[in-house]
Amino acid sequence: MSATALLSLERVTKRFGGLTAVREVSVEVRAGDLLGIIGPNGAGKTTLFNVIAGYYRADEGRVVFDGHDITGRPAHAIAGLGLTRTFQIVKPFGNLSVLDNVMIGALTRLASTREARAEAERVIAVCGLGPHAVARARALPLGLRKRLEVARALATRPRLLLLDEVMAGLNPTELGGMIDLVRRLHADGLTLVVIEHIMAAMMRLAQRIVMLHHGEKIAEGTPREIASDRRVIDAYLGEEFVLAEA
Amino acid sequence: MARALARHWGALVVFGAAALVPIVVRDAYFLDSLVLILLWGALSAAWNVAGGYAGQVSIGHASFFGIGAYSAALLGARWQQSPWLGMLVGIALSLAAGAAIGYLSNRLKGPYFALSTIAFSQVLLIVASRWRAFTSGSEGIPVPFRPGFATLGLGHVAWVYLALAVAVLYWGIQVWLEHSRFGYRLAGVREDEDAAQALGIPARRLKVIAVTASAALTSVCGTLWAQYVGFVDPFYVFSVDLSVRFALNTIIGGMGTALGPFLGSILITSLETYLRATLSGVKSGFTGIYLIVYGVVLILVVRFVPDGLAGVAGRLRARRARAHA
Repeated sequence: MSATALLSLERVTKRFGGLTAVREVSVEVRAGDLLGIIGPNGAGKTTLFNVIAGYYRADEGRVVFDGHDITGRPAHAIAGLGLTRTFQIVKPFGNLSVLDNVMIGALTRLASTREARAEAERVIAVCGLGPHAVARARALPLGLRKRLEVARALATRPRLLLLDEVMAGLNPTELGGMIDLVRRLHADGLTLVVIEHIMAAMMRLAQRIVMLHHGEKIAEGTPREIASDRRVIDAYLGEEFVLAEA
Repeated sequence: MARALARHWGALVVFGAAALVPIVVRDAYFLDSLVLILLWGALSAAWNVAGGYAGQVSIGHASFFGIGAYSAALLGARWQQSPWLGMLVGIALSLAAGAAIGYLSNRLKGPYFALSTIAFSQVLLIVASRWRAFTSGSEGIPVPFRPGFATLGLGHVAWVYLALAVAVLYWGIQVWLEHSRFGYRLAGVREDEDAAQALGIPARRLKVIAVTASAALTSVCGTLWAQYVGFVDPFYVFSVDLSVRFALNTIIGGMGTALGPFLGSILITSLETYLRATLSGVKSGFTGIYLIVYGVVLILVVRFVPDGLAGVAGRLRARRARAHA
C-alpha cells in the first residue's frame, strides 16, 4: 500500500445471500486521481460505491480513507470525513429549490445559513445551474437533476467524490457540459472515482480504469491498456468498439 | 424588520386578531372557542414538527397529549401538586416516549410507522383505563379548580392569553425550523434520507430529535388542556380521533409551514363548534354529521390545494410578485 493513497480498498467482498456482488476487490486511489470504473450491468460497480460510502457493510476486507478505517462506519460519518457520492438514480430533495438543495450540502461544513447560501450560490454557478436556482428540484429535467446531484455533493467540499453514472441519459450537449464540469473539478484538485457506461467519455476523462466483471476486478490500467485488454473486450467492449477506436 | 413583517403578515393577522378579541368580546362561549382554536393550533404545530418538518407522520400523538394531561391531573388530584410540576413530569415522560417512538421511525417507514404510533396510543389507553387504583380507570379524573396562576385556575380572558403565548411560541419554533441549519438539514432528511446521509447528515439522529421534541411540545399542551377543561377521560385523551385531528388540521392548513397548523385549526375548530351547536338540536342521528363535513373538507383540500391553506397564500404571493416583476 503506497503512502499517498487517499482511498484504498483491501480485498473487499460483499455478498447478498448466495450472490457475491463484489469479490475481493482491491483498488487504490491516490490524491488527485481520476479513476474510472467500468463493467457490464450487474458487475458490482454501484455495490462497490455503496460499500465505500457506508450504505452497505463489507462482509470481508477493509476500506481505508485518508488513514481512517471507515469499514462499516455510517454513511454520514464517512461524508463528514470528506468522502461523498452521487446516486445513479438521482435523489434530489424534490420539494425544495435548487438553492436549498445545495445549501443543505454546504451546511455540512458551514454553521451559518448565510454563509451556506453564499457558498451554494457559488457552487450553483460553477455547475451551470444559475438560471434554475429558485426552481423546485423535482421540476428539473434529468440533465439538470444530474448536475444538481453533483452540485449538492460538491457543496460539502469533499476531498473524494464518487460519481455514479452522472452522464447516463444525457443528450450530447448535456454530456459535453458534464464532461467539461468533471474535467474542471479534477483540474481544481478534486479526487474522483467515476462509474460510467459511456466509453467514449471514459476514455477521454479517466487516468486509470478498473474493470469489474461478476463482482471481480479483471483488469486495471490506463484507458489505452484497458481498451486493448482481451478480457475487457470479451466481457464488455466487444470487437466493434475496438475497431471503431482503431 | 419591515421584511420580517412582510414575510409573516399572515401570522401577524392571526395572532394579532386573537390578542385583540378578548378586549372587545366578553362572550364566554366565543372566548372558549378561541382558547380551543389556539390550543388545537399549537398541538397541530407540535405535530407538524414531526409530521411536516421531519416527514414522520404519526397518528399516535394523542399518546403524548394524554401523558401531559394525566401527569398534571394525577399529581394535582392525588398529591395536590402544582400543574406546572405536572407539566414538567409530563415533558420528561413524553421525552422518553418520544425518543422510543422516534427510534421506531428508524425501523419502520411510512404507513408502518403511523400504525405503530396508533398501537402505542392504544396501549396507553388500555393502561390508563384499566389501572383503576391509580388512574381511576375509565371514570376519568376531575382536575380540581383552584384559582390562581400557580394552579392554572384562570378565567377565560387569561386562558386566551396563555394559549396565545403558547401558540406564538410554537409558531416561532417552526419559523426557526425553516431558517436554521438544523431545520434545513431536517428538510433534507424528510425529502430523502439516503441523499441526506451522503451529505454528512446524521439522518436517524435528526429524526429522533424531531419526534422527541414534537412529543414534549404536545405534552405541554396536553397539560394545559386538562387544566382548562377540568376533566381527563382516557377514552378521549388517548383517542385516535384526537391524533387524527392534529394531523388533519396540519394537512388542511399546510404541512411543513409555520402558520398552516393554525389556519387548519381555525377552519376545523370553528366548523366543528358551529356544526355541533347547529345540529345538536336536530334528531340525535345527525350528531356525527360533522365527521362527514371533516371528510368532505379533507377531500377538497387534498384534491384542490394539496399544499394546504398556507400553500394557497404562498401561491397568491408568488403570483403577485410575478405581476409586479
